Amino acid sequence: MDTIINYVDNMFASLPKSTEMRQLRDELLANMEEKYHELKLAGKTDNEAIGIVISEFGNIDEIIEEFGISQEDDVATQTFLTEREVEDYLQVSKKSGQWIGIGAVLCIFGSAMFVLLLGLFEKGVMNGLTVETGMYIGVILLLLCVAVAVGLFIYAGMQLDKYKYISVKGNFELSIDLKSKIKTMKDAYQPTFTLFMIVGVVLIILSPAVLLTMIFFNEHLANFGVFIMLTLVSVAVYFFVYFGNMYGAYDKLLKGNAQRTKEKNEDRVIGAVASIVWPLAVIVFLISGFIYGLWYLNWIVFPITGLLFAMFSGAYSSLIRKEE
Amino acid sequence: MISSDVIRGYNDTIILYLLLEKQSYGYEISKRIKELSNGKYVIKETTLYSAFNRLLKKGYIESFHKEQTFGKKRTYYRITESGLLYYQEKCREWELTKEVINQFIREDYL
Repeated sequence: MDTIINYVDNMFASLPKSTEMRQLRDELLANMEEKYHELKLAGKTDNEAIGIVISEFGNIDEIIEEFGISQEDDVATQTFLTEREVEDYLQVSKKSGQWIGIGAVLCIFGSAMFVLLLGLFEKGVMNGLTVETGMYIGVILLLLCVAVAVGLFIYAGMQLDKYKYISVKGNFELSIDLKSKIKTMKDAYQPTFTLFMIVGVVLIILSPAVLLTMIFFNEHLANFGVFIMLTLVSVAVYFFVYFGNMYGAYDKLLKGNAQRTKEKNEDRVIGAVASIVWPLAVIVFLISGFIYGLWYLNWIVFPITGLLFAMFSGAYSSLIRKEE
Repeated sequence: MISSDVIRGYNDTIILYLLLEKQSYGYEISKRIKELSNGKYVIKETTLYSAFNRLLKKGYIESFHKEQTFGKKRTYYRITESGLLYYQEKCREWELTKEVINQFIREDYL
């Protein structure tokens, strides 16, 4: 009897999973079961009974035709990508990677500027202006940077929106030629990607070392140390975003429709976390500075965020891959 | 054995005839067809249910659920008023078809 159930389920596998189809399947199966038992009672062997029942099932195309099921829904939207489309998509991914990267850099760099200005004013380099004035100038600069960054995030998101069918839905097919071409491009890109990921991680790990060295030699240079450190962190973050994004674009093209359900969540989650985490870091930086007066300490928010963010994206991606 | 291509246009007539006898369900109908045709015509499951769907849509039959003696729910079918009219129409059509085709059948080849 299992053979018959399997057969019917296979026949129905390509049909929509609607209530109508489920009822029809159950009904057909009930008939076939009854037929099978009667054949057995009439003295047929198990194999004979199964053979007769299956041979009298008919053709599933009749059901498809009669019930007006269009199976084309899935297929029709899955178009073959042209070479032009692939190139455009890669181009836009590259650009949007730049914009998002620059946005993240601005968030960090703005804070670095702020710390630097504070240092300059404290030293009295800007003669005639008080530290307080310097602080306001710094904050205005920082807020400007964040505003531009948010603008860039939104702009990049809108650019990528056009390619949702590639990046999110995966509703496309690739010709074998194009696929192997993209594979070659990805393989060529792999060393660059790996190199910059390593450089980024090294930069983040080394950045506090620069600061500590400067403080060790001259305590008054702390502010400049922080500035340099944050600059290094921002460079690293740019590498993560830009090269990661580019590599991801190749990956998405090659993976296509298969195994995409989790992948699209991954993109969304990491993207969403990035656009929340960096402005949030700025907010924490400002609040701890203005309200609690922790200017000498709170810049640590940025390297920590950078590290946590890198750890999060790395761990999240590999966890998801493992689940597959 | 009659090929399903030849008999295609008359599956509806066969089903309606059986439902005119009494309300029935899928397997019973296919069994009756086999019996009455002396095993010369076995209707396929998919053909039968395509026909049910077609007849339901046109309002020639209606379906309802009925518990069977051993507790299983089955979909039963019964013929409607317009189904009866359609059946009568098909009977006359067959009479005419038979008459016309017979003109082209040489009895010495039968």
